[in-house]
Amino acid sequence: MSGGRRKEEPPQPQLANGALKVSVWSKVLRSDAAWEDKDEFLDVIYWSRQVIAVVLGVVWGVLPLRGFLGIAGFCLINAGVLYLYFSNYLQIDEEEYGGTWELTKEGFMTSFALFMVIWIIFYTAIHYD
Amino acid sequence: MSTMFADTLLIVFISVCTALLAEGITWVLVYRTDKYKRLKAEVEKQSKKLEKKKETITESAGRQQKKKIERQEEKLKNNNRDLSMVRMKSMFAIGFCFTALMGMFNSIFDGRVVAKLPFTPLSYIQGLSHRNLLGDDTTDCSFIFLYILCTMSIRQWIMIPGYGAEAVLNAWRFGLLILLSASHLRAVRFLHCNCLKLHKYHFFIVYQHLFVIQEHK
Repeated sequence: MSGGRRKEEPPQPQLANGALKVSVWSKVLRSDAAWEDKDEFLDVIYWSRQVIAVVLGVVWGVLPLRGFLGIAGFCLINAGVLYLYFSNYLQIDEEEYGGTWELTKEGFMTSFALFMVIWIIFYTAIHYD
Repeated sequence: MSTMFADTLLIVFISVCTALLAEGITWVLVYRTDKYKRLKAEVEKQSKKLEKKKETITESAGRQQKKKIERQEEKLKNNNRDLSMVRMKSMFAIGFCFTALMGMFNSIFDGRVVAKLPFTPLSYIQGLSHRNLLGDDTTDCSFIFLYILCTMSIRQWIMIPGYGAEAVLNAWRFGLLILLSASHLRAVRFLHCNCLKLHKYHFFIVYQHLFVIQEHK
């Protein structure tokens, strides 16, 4: 971890099923936050992907955005936004978490399924109801 | 609200209910038993101990140290195996329940378009997304496709805290595997009788099995 600018922080409490307490989310937007607990950071990545999936599913369903472009757009935005977040904004050492691919994979398929459900529901409701 | 959108919402609701049912069955058969709680605590304690030992060990560590670690790893492996055996009970129960439930829902929603897909699925996915539907419009969505997507996305919100999402997911996957296997056998028989090419459909069913199994860690 490129921890030169990182401050020491007490370990953050975490619920057993991976859900995070509010204090963890307060660290998310701080570029100098320390992430001692690797599982905690992976959970942030995981749940962030779910939030992106919901937002994109609603937007794509309302527009509507159809076809492979919608799916490709989701994949690019989901992977790209989080890559920029952990690579450029937080500047974490990806090797500590198993590499960029492991971070990209974290929660991707579940978020994809959630995106598809939201997209289909909104598309059906608004454009075929 | 049109019938189609009502069906869409109903399937989401069914997915939530079946997820809760699976979680409930697993809690009754597995999570609340003393044996499971004891084994889980033991596995967690041993994992932490082993991790700490591996961090402190150096390359020049003696043979005795390395043998000790090997013994601890073996013990951990045995406990993990016992834990899996305890979870197996719920997997069978859920698999049996799901096979019955899915048979019922399949017949209720047979031939009904439950949603419109905003994309045209790949040909080997159409076997699932256009299952038992009339017509050639491949953007028509069948019950099973929407149900699978809903379950994959909803399960994460319904896990009982502290009891291992993996166990419940494995149980659900097992149930879906039984359903798909049964469907696969019927499909293979149907296709064989009609002298159609099997390889595309067969690949899809196998892929579906693998996808479901390896979807989540």
